[in-house]
Amino acid sequence: MNSSRVPIIILYLTLVFLVGPFLVVFIAAFGGEPTLKFPPTSFSTQWFTKVFEVESFRSSFLTSLGLGLMSTSLALALGIPVAYALSRFRLPGAVVIQTVLTSPALVPGLVVGLALLQYFINLGGSVYPSLLAAHTALLLPYVVRVVSTSLINLKPDIEEAAISLGASRLTAFRLVVLPNIRGGVAAAAVLAFITSFDQVAVSLFLTGPGVSTLPISMLTFMEYNYDPTIAALSTLLIIFSIGLVLVFERVLGLSRYV
Amino acid sequence: MPGRTVTPWLLVTPALLFLTLVFLYPVVKLLLNSFSVGDTFGLGNYTSFFGDRFNLEVLWRTLRVALVVTLVSAVVCYPAAYGIQSVPPRYRGLVTALIIVPLMTSPVARTYAWLVLLGQTGIVNTALLRSGLVQEPVRILYTEWAVYIGMAQLFIPLMLLTLISAMENLPRDVVPAARSLGATSLQSFTRVILPLTREGLVVGGTLVFTGCITAYVTPALLGGARVQLLATLLYQKAGVTVDYAAASVISVVMLALTLTVAGVLRGRGGRT
Repeated sequence: MNSSRVPIIILYLTLVFLVGPFLVVFIAAFGGEPTLKFPPTSFSTQWFTKVFEVESFRSSFLTSLGLGLMSTSLALALGIPVAYALSRFRLPGAVVIQTVLTSPALVPGLVVGLALLQYFINLGGSVYPSLLAAHTALLLPYVVRVVSTSLINLKPDIEEAAISLGASRLTAFRLVVLPNIRGGVAAAAVLAFITSFDQVAVSLFLTGPGVSTLPISMLTFMEYNYDPTIAALSTLLIIFSIGLVLVFERVLGLSRYV
Repeated sequence: MPGRTVTPWLLVTPALLFLTLVFLYPVVKLLLNSFSVGDTFGLGNYTSFFGDRFNLEVLWRTLRVALVVTLVSAVVCYPAAYGIQSVPPRYRGLVTALIIVPLMTSPVARTYAWLVLLGQTGIVNTALLRSGLVQEPVRILYTEWAVYIGMAQLFIPLMLLTLISAMENLPRDVVPAARSLGATSLQSFTRVILPLTREGLVVGGTLVFTGCITAYVTPALLGGARVQLLATLLYQKAGVTVDYAAASVISVVMLALTLTVAGVLRGRGGRT
């Protein structure tokens, strides 16, 4: 039947719309012209070299990497205990706690950035701690949600058994619960890191002279440069996320957590 | 034993304290600022913001973009999500990965692709000129069209993934059953698939709608100064013209919009 093929054709066209632009960026990145042109008429790899020569990219990449790792660790340290408490205890006011914890996901990123900018300026603080605080707050809802999912899927029986055999709750958590939810924790860490690394809205107001994240540096660079350097950098970032998705889809089944 | 009741509080307190101090308090303070004129309470910031025709146009445009992109992604993603059943099982993982990869990619890189495609010397214009459909390059970039396209590419994965998982929960043979009882394909969609996947549609729609209202990179790069949305207007007021009164009003409006839509989700989608 002919009409039964329509849905799958729409699916494939949608995939082309989602992924096709990436191919265009790949091709544009290898263009030889000094200004971005598509399709390019000559071949060059100079823009990939230039990515590593631009000082603002090098420093902001390191900032984004450090910020991503630190905010992810902080969000895990704060979020895992919450997920555990919410899944294993009946807390009065659990709804309120849950609402507070999901609130960073509900408030538009630009609003968070602006609020923290004004707050930390009044406190006389510097830029970096406010960026770290904003990113950690943003990641907490993701961490709590993903870790909670794995905790709910883990029956409490085995840790109860450990406790009744004399383990403290902390020991039971460390030796019994944590090894069983490490897939969820790893998935939470990956999602959190990516969310921080790609973040624009929250960071926009909180970057200033001296401190900038990679996405913000890219936006600034694009205002004044029309050569394919950004295409080369975007290519590297897209390859990085493809690799990440492939590895974690294979190891953790990431699609269950997105 | 007192330890049993104290433990959970010890576990949640650090996170709650952290969020209250560095997130809730600053955000609430910013929102309350919008109600103060000088040192007294007043709605002056609101009357002057909403009294400006330009601001109203931006608000209306933001709503229009969010609504159109949400509707279009629902219309596209329903058949596309249904179509995944016809994909041979060994390729389904690949299809899922192709939907997830854009989600995990920097929005700057994703939006940049459209600058390459839609510019005056971009592939779309080159193709149009060569085919003879147009005589000179069409302006697509920095129009509302460019924003629609960019936003659709940004948020379709969310709608698609939500609808795919909603359809996985559909009993396998409901559609063939409806068809064998004489329903047309349109009827089997409106009477069977739609009611059974309504929750997924509400969740996906909320993600797309709120995403469109809060996205910054796409309107900034593809809309530019000509096609401003609330997000780019907020950046302009706070970052460029340092008009914190207007910026706090826009913050309240954006938050009110996202919370209203999220509230609709809780009311309609309920059991998720």
